[in-house]
Amino acid sequence: MSGLQQLPGSVAILLLLLFFGGSFYMSVRISKKKENADGYMTGGGKIGFGISAASMTATWIWASSMYASATSGYTYGISGPIHYGLWGALMILLIYPFGRRIRAVAPRAHTIAEVMFARHGRSSQLMLAGSNVLGSLISLTSNLIAGGALVDMLTPYTFTQGIVAIAAGVLLYTLWSGFRASVLTDFAQVLAMLGAVAVIIPIVFFTAGGPGLFETGAANLTPQQQDFFSSDAFYNQGAPYIAAVLAYAIGNQTIAQRLFAVREDLIKKTFVTATFGYGAAIIGIGMLGVIALYAGVEPLNGDVNNLIPQMAATYLNPALLCLFFVMIIGSLSSTADADLTALSSIVMADVYGQNVAGKKRANPRTMILVGRITMVVAIAAGLYFAGSKLNILDLLVFVGAMWGALVFPVIASFYWGRVTNLAFSVAVVAGLAAFLPVRFSWVDLSGGLGLVSDVVSTLGVGIVLGLMAFGFFGKRVALVIGAVATLAAAPFTIGFLHTYPVLSGSLVAYAVSTVVCVALTLRNKGTFDFALIKERTGDFDNEPGGARPADEPRQGDPVAARGENS
Amino acid sequence: MSILLTLYVLVWPLIVAGVLFVIVRAFLREWRTARAEGRRII
Repeated sequence: MSGLQQLPGSVAILLLLLFFGGSFYMSVRISKKKENADGYMTGGGKIGFGISAASMTATWIWASSMYASATSGYTYGISGPIHYGLWGALMILLIYPFGRRIRAVAPRAHTIAEVMFARHGRSSQLMLAGSNVLGSLISLTSNLIAGGALVDMLTPYTFTQGIVAIAAGVLLYTLWSGFRASVLTDFAQVLAMLGAVAVIIPIVFFTAGGPGLFETGAANLTPQQQDFFSSDAFYNQGAPYIAAVLAYAIGNQTIAQRLFAVREDLIKKTFVTATFGYGAAIIGIGMLGVIALYAGVEPLNGDVNNLIPQMAATYLNPALLCLFFVMIIGSLSSTADADLTALSSIVMADVYGQNVAGKKRANPRTMILVGRITMVVAIAAGLYFAGSKLNILDLLVFVGAMWGALVFPVIASFYWGRVTNLAFSVAVVAGLAAFLPVRFSWVDLSGGLGLVSDVVSTLGVGIVLGLMAFGFFGKRVALVIGAVATLAAAPFTIGFLHTYPVLSGSLVAYAVSTVVCVALTLRNKGTFDFALIKERTGDFDNEPGGARPADEPRQGDPVAARGENS
Repeated sequence: MSILLTLYVLVWPLIVAGVLFVIVRAFLREWRTARAEGRRII
């Protein structure tokens, strides 16, 4: 394509066979003739630090994040990768206190939606399950598209051949053992990804000109691009991303699934390691965009998504190009298999386990069959959407905002016993209803409505920062930080923020869902007994392979009704 | 300035290598323990 270096067809096929064949071999090594339903969803809940840290890192790094970080570096200059990778990394760190709380109240759960069912009831569960099905399908599609584009650019094969090969490969190694296969292969994939990042970035840097590049290429950058504290980068990239990734981290089943899988005492260690792994890898890859900017590289066909493969094809020798190819395939496969296992768990636990068969009658064998069928259907849907002309980024922003509306109600539900199903559900719907007209400019925001949007968005700033502080420092500090942040931001944001609809829309979703949730919750005088969640979210399967101690309840065991308020 | 920017570009692969070392060491330890106890690592 356009004279760029390509891998010979036979080499590309060999690499794909080695990658997916190796993953399949690992999957076969841990497979069981009769898989355990709980193991299929969470690996038994006792996974060690090495695998869980690798899996969390690999799942959080997806091909699109590599492309987006490089795009950010190319667009916003030297601070661009920080405004993509650092905030994403910090979110992993910031959610771990919430993760520990969720795990403490629901140690044997499989999905966040299942916990919401135990806490509130069906509507809250279905809202979370629905948003995750949509989010995982979009993520799966996006990863297939990234893989197809890579194959199209770096090999003689077409986009369609690329997405079919990758979809088949991911399904092959994930189908039989589910989550257990996903996390074990994540280890091999993280080896390939992080190993490649550690080698490729210095080589591209020195091949492109090394330190001298910063003198010869300085003229290619605008003053904003040269500024490490660029306001342009913060408002257009960093700030909207902070709001979005907090929502992604809290509402995303792929993260929750790993939270329920890792041994409880290793949660902090796992999240801290993943923070460093994700942050350094993604910011590092973003440096390819910065190098391209200094080197005066023009993206192929004007498309910045071509930047990473283009840099690799320009500056790497054939052997390193193979390593690069494996790195991208690893990043998209690790997220795609996580999406498949997330989708299968939701359908197994939330749809079949609790809504079709019912808790008492759920058959573990049927559950596993349902999970496997879900994976096949999901990969077929991903292939269909990848072949269509849907705008994936728009859909991702939509799902991000939907999860933005869920963040406060979800977090509050784990700490505040007075939150009801009504408060949760109405708050989410209200947050979403307020988000849509702001994000997509359905109303004219140049007048009074713009001012209202700015005030609500400013409150959203305080809520986002308050929530981040809450996990570490508790309610009092969170309230102080939230109030101070709102007041401090007001002079700068009111009259201005509505000109950034992506950021405003997200903040409005946070603010409206929080205000509605608090208002409706305060009307409730009863309180919920959080111990009920533990009793209501036990294992589904008593066959060997699960990790349920004999004294822990199974799904459907009688539960004493106490403290129920919703 | 060039030196600072060079360090800024090259520090990330260094951190990545460090994280990789930590993960691989932990994995090998868990693998050996699982093997000694006669069970699967996952």
